[in-house]
Amino acid sequence: MSTYAFAPDYELPQWPFRAPPELNSDTVARHPVVIVGAGPAGLTLACDLALRGVPAILLDEDDTVGVRGASSRGICYAQKSLEIFERLGIYERIAAKGITWSVGKTFSGEQEVYGFNLQTESASRQPPFINLQQFYIEWFLVERILELGVVDLRWKNKVSRIESREDGVRVHVDTPAGRYAIDADHLVDATGAHSPIRTQLQLPGQTARSTDRWCITDVRFRKPLPVERWTWVDAPFNDGRAVWQHLMADGVWRIDYQMPEDCDNDTISKPEVAGERLRKQLGPDVDFEFVWIGPYGYRDFLLDHFRHQRVLFIGDAAHVVSPFGARGGNTGIQDAANLGWKLALVTRGVAEPALLDTYCAERRHAAAENLAVTSRSARFLAPRSPAEHTLRRAVVALAARHPFARTLVNTGRMSVANAYPPSDALPAGACTVQNLPLQWQGGSATTLMQLLAEARLTQGLALWFAPEADAVAPMRQQLAGLPVRLIAVGGRTELPTLQADAALTARLDAKPGSLHLLRPDAYAAASLQAAAPAAAAAAVRRAFCTANLT
Amino acid sequence: MITTPNIPDPDGFYAALLEAQADLDAAATADFQARLLFLLANQCGAQDVLLDCIAAARDSADPASTTTHTP
Repeated sequence: MSTYAFAPDYELPQWPFRAPPELNSDTVARHPVVIVGAGPAGLTLACDLALRGVPAILLDEDDTVGVRGASSRGICYAQKSLEIFERLGIYERIAAKGITWSVGKTFSGEQEVYGFNLQTESASRQPPFINLQQFYIEWFLVERILELGVVDLRWKNKVSRIESREDGVRVHVDTPAGRYAIDADHLVDATGAHSPIRTQLQLPGQTARSTDRWCITDVRFRKPLPVERWTWVDAPFNDGRAVWQHLMADGVWRIDYQMPEDCDNDTISKPEVAGERLRKQLGPDVDFEFVWIGPYGYRDFLLDHFRHQRVLFIGDAAHVVSPFGARGGNTGIQDAANLGWKLALVTRGVAEPALLDTYCAERRHAAAENLAVTSRSARFLAPRSPAEHTLRRAVVALAARHPFARTLVNTGRMSVANAYPPSDALPAGACTVQNLPLQWQGGSATTLMQLLAEARLTQGLALWFAPEADAVAPMRQQLAGLPVRLIAVGGRTELPTLQADAALTARLDAKPGSLHLLRPDAYAAASLQAAAPAAAAAAVRRAFCTANLT
Repeated sequence: MITTPNIPDPDGFYAALLEAQADLDAAATADFQARLLFLLANQCGAQDVLLDCIAAARDSADPASTTTHTP
């Protein structure tokens, strides 16, 4: 029997436990926002709030990033997530460390039956995808939060119990130095799929468990392979079952093997068994070393309501999907970006608490859509009956010859920024706007994300195309005091002015005189043709649920 | 969904269908029919018609069904 080598463990950072001031206090301090769980969703929210000047507290039971050594968990970060990271100030580190890709190929046996290149539809400064081990994303976020210095990161602070009330939440915390309690105006549960908070509150949701089994093998080898997402519906080197092949940082490949449903976890994850699988795939002459072997199954979960009194649920605490299409972590990151600006405005009293209900409506809709999409991929990958196998065989056979059938091959539909349906706040619904590169009239370069990052504390953008000079004063007057920054695109006025841009005009369907409202999360909330100042102000008030300040 | 006659030579079509699967066993016949299904679906190309056809195919197995489909 051959022996197989493991790479040395990653040296992950650890942050010190510091005794919180509440430990020696008799009074229970009240904080505007307490976030529980320092995973991608919780850290993204904490970083977003830090940039908006909200002194949130982030509690995490651990003192490092990642779990169980080198297990990398999520690896694919989608464009929308990367644009959020650009705004938060960690994108450059991610791009430098990660693997940028846009091409995906699907094979049946030896034959390519489906392919896509996501770059062809992209106008963003960020690429369609970057692969990076999840702990690096968390690591970069933690360092950015520490650098910003607004949010209080508390390691080794484990929430034991909460008391949820109509007007706030009391949080009981265990630490190595003792117990304490704090009050929160809003508590955000980002504790993941096994959320103890959700469990304690006994909140209803829909759940489904799959019998499909997989085994991740993260591995380094010297065989040069294309930097593309390759999937096999039925790989000859995996007994006709599916396989995923993806490169991430540090030269580590993630190879994910579909296993028989009745497999034994201990057996399939033995190094010699995993090594045999790799040998069959890579050939006899390729040296490799393991980084991580991890068997897993998956389940679906969707919480009925993403808000319970003053408790808000983000990320896996609110929804769990199968991994096909990278819609887990990316959805959590986008939950956080949807919630951050809303919490900031409500905390500051600029917006009514009803703005938080738009978080629940928008992101639950997104989660339900992701659940439907990933369930279809899972069903294609694991047919449940001989008849379903027959249909899939037909699709794969036809796909080898006929382009139409390639669109039916479903090894995962990659994560997108979900569109939001029409609502009171969004009368026409809303789509995200890609991070377009733009230029100020003076010639200096900027991007939409940069404009949003610069916007004072929390503002949207009102992009006004070729305004008339004499229309500026009444518009300014109407928008005064509203959380929006007025910027002209073309035209000759005293407003800060961007150069006319074909991509921006096309994306917003802009006309001379039209005004387009972009929320702080880069969703286009309203378009007004021949914008009247009062109508523009009303659109802002609606989208931001602004409080009636008299 | 068209439910009135639309195939120019029904008997000829039926004969060609039988001929194409005459030498196939049950499993190969099922595969053949599934491939044919997808090819025909792509000729149609109208989502609402495809969904109507799926529903009509289900209904037609049930003698008690009174569902009618108007063209």
